[in-house]
Amino acid sequence: MQRWPLTLGRALDNDVVLDDPHVAANHAVLEPDAQGQLTLAVGDTVNGVSVGNNRFRAGAKVPLDAAGTALQIGAVKLRLRLPGETLAPERALPAGGRAQMAPPLVAGLLVMLLALADHWMSLDPGADATAWLPAAVGLPLALAGWCGAWALASKLFQHRFDFMGHLRIMLPWLLAIEAVDVVLPALGATLAWPWLWRLAVPLQVLLAVLMLRSHLTQVLPLSGRIVTAVVASTALVGAAISLTLTQRATDRYSRPAYMSTLPLSALHVAVTAPPTAVVQDMAPLADKLAQRVKRARADDDNDGELGGD
Amino acid sequence: MPVIVDVLRALCCLALMMGAALAASPGDGKPEGPPGAQTPAQTAPAPDAAAATPDTPLTGAGQRIYERTRPRLLQVRTLLKTQDSQSSVGSGFLIDDEGHLITNYHVVSQFALQPGRHRLVYATVDGKQGALQLLAFDVVHDLALLKPVEPAALSGRGSVALRPQADTLPRGARIFSLGNPLDVGFAVAEGSYNGPVERSFLPTLFFGGSLSAGMSGGPALDDQGRLIGVNVAARRDGEQVSFLVPADFVRALIARGRGAPPITAPAWPEITRQLMQHEAQLTQGFIQQPWRSAGHPVYTIPVPQETWMRCWGRGSPQAARGLQFERSDCEMDSRIFVSGALLTGFITVRHEAYDGSKLGRLRFAQRYSASFSNEFVGGDDRSRTAGQCVERSVAVPPKAAAKAAAASPLPLKAVICLRAYKKLEGLHDMMVLVATLDGATSGVQGRLDAQGVSLASAQRLAQHYLDGFAWNTPPTTQPPTKPIAPIASR
Repeated sequence: MQRWPLTLGRALDNDVVLDDPHVAANHAVLEPDAQGQLTLAVGDTVNGVSVGNNRFRAGAKVPLDAAGTALQIGAVKLRLRLPGETLAPERALPAGGRAQMAPPLVAGLLVMLLALADHWMSLDPGADATAWLPAAVGLPLALAGWCGAWALASKLFQHRFDFMGHLRIMLPWLLAIEAVDVVLPALGATLAWPWLWRLAVPLQVLLAVLMLRSHLTQVLPLSGRIVTAVVASTALVGAAISLTLTQRATDRYSRPAYMSTLPLSALHVAVTAPPTAVVQDMAPLADKLAQRVKRARADDDNDGELGGD
Repeated sequence: MPVIVDVLRALCCLALMMGAALAASPGDGKPEGPPGAQTPAQTAPAPDAAAATPDTPLTGAGQRIYERTRPRLLQVRTLLKTQDSQSSVGSGFLIDDEGHLITNYHVVSQFALQPGRHRLVYATVDGKQGALQLLAFDVVHDLALLKPVEPAALSGRGSVALRPQADTLPRGARIFSLGNPLDVGFAVAEGSYNGPVERSFLPTLFFGGSLSAGMSGGPALDDQGRLIGVNVAARRDGEQVSFLVPADFVRALIARGRGAPPITAPAWPEITRQLMQHEAQLTQGFIQQPWRSAGHPVYTIPVPQETWMRCWGRGSPQAARGLQFERSDCEMDSRIFVSGALLTGFITVRHEAYDGSKLGRLRFAQRYSASFSNEFVGGDDRSRTAGQCVERSVAVPPKAAAKAAAASPLPLKAVICLRAYKKLEGLHDMMVLVATLDGATSGVQGRLDAQGVSLASAQRLAQHYLDGFAWNTPPTTQPPTKPIAPIASR
């Protein structure tokens, strides 16, 4: 615009015509006051004007000092830009270029390699070539489907089908999940650390949740904090439910009763404990079970004599 | 109303069939065994019921014995306290002139465990009925001693005499089993006496005749009408393979329980006491027996003697390209019926020897671990707590003979899991899992299960089992590549 005052409204004689049914004929006037402070005068309007987070009714006079203040008139969003403001630098378009393709390609190759190796382990020697199909064809299709679904979500919110962006997010996390699946159980078995072995699945779940958060943040970049909060609370509730159910069924917080991965013969740390050691470990275990039986008895007494099996 | 009674009758027959079948010998849960052995059929054995006497008609002796014993024969029914519908039906017989009755424990187990919700009733052949009370029971041998609330109602009927202990019955002698099969009507079944069951921990008699559900608790008599044993169970996967509790245990129960006050509270403490006695004997006897060799070229694997156990072997088909294995399952016949949902008091031992030479190290390691994870430990249910485990890698020191060759100790992964019984205080189910750790492409995984043992017994059994593993020959640098010798199978 060229000169003050600036009138905004629906009527055609305004400087800025806003063709919105929620805007009044003469909604607002923008002009500097006697001291030179830019002021917004709200006209004869039912809906008022929103400046930042505040709403102002008809007749209000609002000083506008911050550059780039957001105004909302009806359903229209406006932003003020004054001369003398420094411009933000030009933002580069995402994707494009050969150099950008290298990291996801490498990650993708590693993921496929790990999956194929895992599949090879489960096949018997001399297996038919068709036995490879689930891993060689099925897995890439599944991953493409996953990224495609997220890209559709991006299309919905960002108006861009961001397949490559989501692929670039997914592959490193997937690699991390697969690496945990391979390394942690074997490490726990070799070092005889059952706690490390039991960590494998919860850690994979945590990585999956983080991957989900990354995907969501890519789709809704402006709501980063909200996304993190929602994902974190959902994950916590899910974890609490899962732990409760496990505890009900097994009296433990981890479902497997014992570490079932056996160490590779070449790697395992030399053992010296005699068999009596594990037999002696049984006594504290029996004590714990006796406590559990006591609790079960107390519950039974409270319920009355119901079950007699 | 009549329809409901018929439906409930059918249900009770099913319940009783299951009771009898469960108390019968293995087949329960054993996947493969001798040809034709399957889990006992849960359907009504209709052909058996129709012909109480299969091929041979009743001889004169049978008619005579039935006529004489009829007044002393009863049906024992467990009814729900509030209704007239029966939840369990079996047979029983008078054992003395004071009106004492003998039947199986499993016929009255529902009453014994929940006396507040059930009541016991007898029905004579000539239609008389009356209330019963439970005086004593022997849960290990599946016997119960009952007495009518009004003994006068059953006076003057006489009683079944016991055959003297010293008077042994020859094999093949004709004996007669009486009872009320499937609640159809009182019947007598003739068969042969085939002596004690071989390889049974609890002495049981083998009756070559047909026993149907409902005959549990009825007497088995010699040709003079004296008691040989009490009907207890039958094998549904065979023909005329039935079992009797020897009369000696009836003698002992009468002596113990004759003057006892009637049972009015749930019988769990007494059951626990009897099971503790049993498990102490079982453990002591088991540990005293040395392990057998499994015939593995590299390892000494503990396999139990076949004094009370039956062992079956199985191997992977020769053409298999993947993991080769040989498997051995040893199970006890004798299992103690505590309730419809609880069979306990037995030991099983099994192992699998794996040969992964066709697979290579990595694949073998993956499958070996997968097989180790495949063991069911048991969750929290009404009778037992969830299984909790302790695990360690242990080294079995070399036996004295091998020490001379300076053999190194055998590394094993040992996992011991325990479940405690909620109502049988002090008794546990134990599982010991063992896997050898030294082989790159071969290994052995073994498992010992002891059901219904005290902690001390469990520890002794676990130690005994772990001590049974060893090197056959001191290890060389290369594991042997020749095929594993077959395990002795039946």
